[in-house]
Amino acid sequence: MPTMTYLQAISDAMREEMRADERVFVMGEDIGAFGGAFKVTDGFLDEFGASRVMDTPLAESGIVGTAVGAAVEGMRPICEMQFSDFISCGFDQLVNVAAKMYYRQGLSVNITVRLPSGGGFSGGPYHSQNPEAWFMHSPGLKVVAPSTAQDAKGLLIKAIRDPNPVVFMEHKHLYRRVKGDVTAGSYETPFTARLAREGEDLTVIAYGAMVHAAMEATEDLGGASVEVLDLRSLVPLDEEAILASVRKTSKVVIVDEANMTCAAGAQVAALIAERGWEDLDGPVVRVATPDVPIPFSPTLEQAVLPQVDDIKEACRELLAY
Amino acid sequence: MSSSPTELLVDLTMPQMGVSVVEGTVAEWKKQPGDRVERDEIICSISTDKIDTDVESPASGRVAELLVEVGATVEVGVVLARIATDDATQNGSASSAGTSEAAVALDAPGDAGELQGDTAVEHDETATERTSVPPARGPRRYSPVVMRIAGEHGVDLDQIEGSGRDGRVRKPDVVAFLERERQGGSQAAEEPPMHIESPYKPEPITPKPPKPASAPVAAPAPVVAGPLGPTTSGPLSRMRQAIGGRMLESLQTTATCTTIVECDMSAVEAARASSGFTYLPYVARATVEALREFPPLNATLEGETFTQYESVHLGIAVSLGQGGLIVPVIHHAQDLSVEGLAGRIKGLARKARDNGLTPDDVRGGTFTITNPGAFGAVLATPVINQPQVAILDCEAVVKRPVVLTDERTGADSIAIRPMTYFCMSWDHRALDGALAAQFLTALRGRLEATT
Repeated sequence: MPTMTYLQAISDAMREEMRADERVFVMGEDIGAFGGAFKVTDGFLDEFGASRVMDTPLAESGIVGTAVGAAVEGMRPICEMQFSDFISCGFDQLVNVAAKMYYRQGLSVNITVRLPSGGGFSGGPYHSQNPEAWFMHSPGLKVVAPSTAQDAKGLLIKAIRDPNPVVFMEHKHLYRRVKGDVTAGSYETPFTARLAREGEDLTVIAYGAMVHAAMEATEDLGGASVEVLDLRSLVPLDEEAILASVRKTSKVVIVDEANMTCAAGAQVAALIAERGWEDLDGPVVRVATPDVPIPFSPTLEQAVLPQVDDIKEACRELLAY
Repeated sequence: MSSSPTELLVDLTMPQMGVSVVEGTVAEWKKQPGDRVERDEIICSISTDKIDTDVESPASGRVAELLVEVGATVEVGVVLARIATDDATQNGSASSAGTSEAAVALDAPGDAGELQGDTAVEHDETATERTSVPPARGPRRYSPVVMRIAGEHGVDLDQIEGSGRDGRVRKPDVVAFLERERQGGSQAAEEPPMHIESPYKPEPITPKPPKPASAPVAAPAPVVAGPLGPTTSGPLSRMRQAIGGRMLESLQTTATCTTIVECDMSAVEAARASSGFTYLPYVARATVEALREFPPLNATLEGETFTQYESVHLGIAVSLGQGGLIVPVIHHAQDLSVEGLAGRIKGLARKARDNGLTPDDVRGGTFTITNPGAFGAVLATPVINQPQVAILDCEAVVKRPVVLTDERTGADSIAIRPMTYFCMSWDHRALDGALAAQFLTALRGRLEATT
């Protein structure tokens, strides 16, 4: 089994699907000759040619709109936003056109929109956001967010094949930091949660980069046995996996790198309050970025983004409750 | 008595001990002016018309002055004593009742939502503040999972020591408690013998010396030698006076009749063998069911007002030895299984012995069960617990020869069966003998069909 970075796994997924399926093509800003801002599509132009690796103008609305049209005609486009923050320019095409097409006209919009997201590298307010909740709130879209290389590849292949528009949140901070064994060839990872670690005393629920922070924070908590649940998919949300874990441990810390209000974790907390009430032995605790833009200053950025120590502290508090 | 400038005087007030209690009598001061007292240490005993209880000091310090004499009756909220404390952090505890309420409120999970930008910082401060809240006294609050497990297994949560913050009972505490119970329970073995248990359930012999009588007695009775030989005399305890007054009133007010049925306890005996419970929860459960069938017995008669109740609030008489007798109430007993009733009976008996019942624990009964059969008697005529209209008395279960008739062949035979008498006193003003007999027959039918 080859070892790959999270970024290589994403490239590998697209390469597998483009080799196997003529209908799959990629489009985005500087993804051709330059290979993409993060080099995810490096070498794609040489292998697949300019008709399937399309450099576009700096116009996200045009990228998503074109993809929707191609999908309605039976293609399977993959759009890359250079940064997830820029999807706001293509928001109408994604949320009002792509997401509602099947509901209004019965037409499948088989597009995948890749959103390089997240902070931790002094990218400032326009290059560090985690906008997944915008799309969770828009019926018709699926939203997935891998934390490992193996899941990045499997989830992306599954997303490309899914007949619905899928928003693929890839965390920039993980691109070259996270490595792992990745199954060769083609495979799908289901849109369900993954038990990253089994435990008895407390559950930490996270997704994306926060899974790694949660694992590190709970490695040694005075002998406490901490379960870590990696959501992987936000829409659909794996409700049964969440409730099963709450049944077992009765105490939950939910971690979001996104801003606190109405984040994915808020939905998880609401679910637990509604359907896991009788299993709770303490308040549902959330750790998330406060409702402020992400600062440029490295010190300030560290102060707002959830850190390993913040998660540790929240877990200790709840374990002692 | 003057206080130094650094001292703060904290008031000890007559506590509110339940919705209906408006005044209390100081029975005994355990501390005198000048004595050192720790926060939560018992400082005096008080009596109300419902219950005797101890009052704890709201602060650590020195008793500055006692404002109410022993025997004096004052209203709730009246200052009983002042504690001089040099600890400035105590100044929030101006009233003991207020403190525990505030502590409970602060202890509630969840923070108010924050809209400012510095949410993270605010959050931390709240967490610290929560940690420094003094232990909450008064009623404990339980998490949903703890309530659910306790409900499923009939556990009285008051029995469980909490290992969480401020003594909070956590899920692992309940699970561990159940595990201990399941293994034959060290917890159960530590229990002193319960007189309300049936004589046929051997009571554990504990080497521990008996606890000193917790019911407050005014003073040790003096021993006097006279022409009749040595005697001891002294005033009746407050509790004996209260019981005496109520019993006399009942006999003078009600038209008391007693009806008796005989019951074969074989089926209950068989069920007990697997459950390990005493007879009492089975009798209680069957009584609740029979009361639902005959609502006129689940009633009160006050003056000319006869009130029937849909819910059964079942009083269980608990002897406090020489101290007297008290009847804690299991409210809404119809919602509890045999297991649930067993847990509640055990918990209430324990609270009664520890002098820990609150006025609400003894309030609102609609029917009473008393169980002196534990001491070997076979018949009694109990006194109705006014304003209820009936009281069921459980007597000793004794093996007797009985004649059984084979349902199929009609042939008679003699068998040895565990038999008992249920003696029910009822108020002829409220009902007639036919109903009492029907009720007792229904009770017997349910017990003999116990599975």
